[in-house]
Amino acid sequence: MPYNSDLLTNTHPRPFRKILIANRGEIALRIARACREMGIPFATVYSDADRAALHVLESDEAHRLGPAPATESYLRGDLLLDIARNVGADAIHPGYGFLSENADFAETCEQAEIKFIGPPSAAMRALGSKTRARQAADKAGMPRTPGSTTGLASLQQAVDLASEIGYPVMLKAAAGGGGKGMRAVTRPEDLRSAFETAQSEAERAFGSNEVYIEKLIERPRHIEIQVLADEHGHCIYLGERECSVQRRHQKVIEEAPSAVIKADLRRQIGEAAVRLAKSAGYTNAGTVEFLLDDEDRFYFLEVNTRLQVEHPVTELVTGLDLVQLQIRIAQGEPLPIAQDDVRLRGHAIECRIYAEDPDNGFFPSPGKITRLLQPGGPGVREDSGIYEGWTVPMDYDPMLSKLIAYAPTRGDAIARMLRALDEYVICGIRTNLGLFRRILNDPDFQAARIDTGYLDRLLADAHHESPPERCDDQRTLATIAAAVLESHRTTAAPAAAQPTSAWKRAAREEGLRR
Amino acid sequence: MKLYIEIAGKVRAVDYTPGESTIMLDDEVMKVHAQWLRPGVLSLIVDGRAWRVVLDENANEPAVYIGSERIVYGVDDPRSLKARRARAAGTDGPRTIKASMPGRVVRILAEKDQQVEAHQGVVVIEAMKMQNELKAPKSGRVTELRVAPGDTVAAGDVLAVIE
Repeated sequence: MPYNSDLLTNTHPRPFRKILIANRGEIALRIARACREMGIPFATVYSDADRAALHVLESDEAHRLGPAPATESYLRGDLLLDIARNVGADAIHPGYGFLSENADFAETCEQAEIKFIGPPSAAMRALGSKTRARQAADKAGMPRTPGSTTGLASLQQAVDLASEIGYPVMLKAAAGGGGKGMRAVTRPEDLRSAFETAQSEAERAFGSNEVYIEKLIERPRHIEIQVLADEHGHCIYLGERECSVQRRHQKVIEEAPSAVIKADLRRQIGEAAVRLAKSAGYTNAGTVEFLLDDEDRFYFLEVNTRLQVEHPVTELVTGLDLVQLQIRIAQGEPLPIAQDDVRLRGHAIECRIYAEDPDNGFFPSPGKITRLLQPGGPGVREDSGIYEGWTVPMDYDPMLSKLIAYAPTRGDAIARMLRALDEYVICGIRTNLGLFRRILNDPDFQAARIDTGYLDRLLADAHHESPPERCDDQRTLATIAAAVLESHRTTAAPAAAQPTSAWKRAAREEGLRR
Repeated sequence: MKLYIEIAGKVRAVDYTPGESTIMLDDEVMKVHAQWLRPGVLSLIVDGRAWRVVLDENANEPAVYIGSERIVYGVDDPRSLKARRARAAGTDGPRTIKASMPGRVVRILAEKDQQVEAHQGVVVIEAMKMQNELKAPKSGRVTELRVAPGDTVAAGDVLAVIE
């Protein structure tokens, strides 16, 4: 993997004494690894459900937060600040999710003079609300979907705006995310009920019923630009990621670069993202999301004011370490590279491996991982928070790991990912590993004919609903394998079943002879 | 020892003794070498072709991974296999609602002794912030409710009985 050696030799003007990692699972481990590589001491936290989690086992210092529910542990900003003070941490890395986009928490950290590794709370507020972000996009001269830039005051306003911009339209919660408080409306007569449900859903999910309206872009691609800004006024973009493969508005596969973005368009979108970040006083890592229609028109969607789950694909194609750069920016260092130094090389694809049961409507499948065989070899990276024997708790997000393949071309990366998926076995719980094989083998995906509705259409395709026809060969082998496994089980041959038991058997025989 | 293995509705007789170098599949003799790598993980060489086999002893059903393919199997003698299938398919007698996944019970949608229709929701369990409504397998009376809201359940636990 290419790596800019300048990044490693820079000196730190204000190195952190210690970083508190306010997250769990694979991202806590990802941040811990960056700290260790940089020689910065760190402490992790855990809830009662996570005492044996990998991020705790890989720490030199770990502190209990509270009971399993996130509201009593990972979302307790007050406890996190107490721990930070007690352990002498002068910075907090929030990861993604939990408190990472909570401007109030960032502000409390600022007041406590504990550095929040992310943007200033003011920038989070300016970009965190979707309506305020749309206003900022207008100011930065960035194209956005036609529609309102403030919350809708009444149903009548929604009706007027909808007829002005034309159906179909989308109603969206200003505080929204993850597809909640979102309604597509294709006919005027459906607008009233959609407006009411979007409002009440937004109220319940986000504590705010602010809803705005925008034109629905049909079959868009989801394109996002990674930006990095230091605290000295420099801001660069690191190319795009394409995250069009989504199931119910949740990203499933991400890749960099996008197969359809040409250099001109990349520069155009990238520069627009930088303008937006600069206008909001943004610092640290952030992502500006866009929709791209089939005529290469792009529309601003929203800003994620944090590190993204899918940051590894950008790391692989740029050769940069985004978490290390986040920490260095937060320490007050200037960006070690300029825009012209950013080079994209090769292609990276990420699969989000979830504990969910594809045969049971993708319902979450927590439980004990009885056996785990992880992939390796050239160009394969796994950012994982799991190990064999660990029980995946039922209290949090079902993401187990991120499998990332990197290769010179998109086609090579797909082949490499399929190879890595074949090496990956997770037993005891059900996972979506099989889904990725299906997507990566799909001619439409291979030809990059994807949009945000692609996966839902693929899954709805009854034609493919039946399990794949297995060759006789495989069924025969499974029969033999089952017989071998069962005969060992029923004859309880410990010598064969457990490699270590030769010693036990010897001891037992020893005992019998006495 | 002789075993009957069922995969996708097809039952085959397999004769194998641990440590032996041949296996009898129906009437065919094949060369086999089984090497345990660790509990549940097996390297199998059958007539010169090498496979990695991993046992997935999930709560509800035995299964093996052949490479990356998960294949569910049944093991028994054929008569009791048939009998078991007949029992499972029948609509007579009490039927249970089992937890398909570990989770926490959030709601009970029916009362004890209540009459429910087939496919009517009876218990809602939640895991990883998603809720799953478990439905009655047939019409009948709820004779037993073994869980209450707040209970933690394991995969395969019986939650209710419909008669």
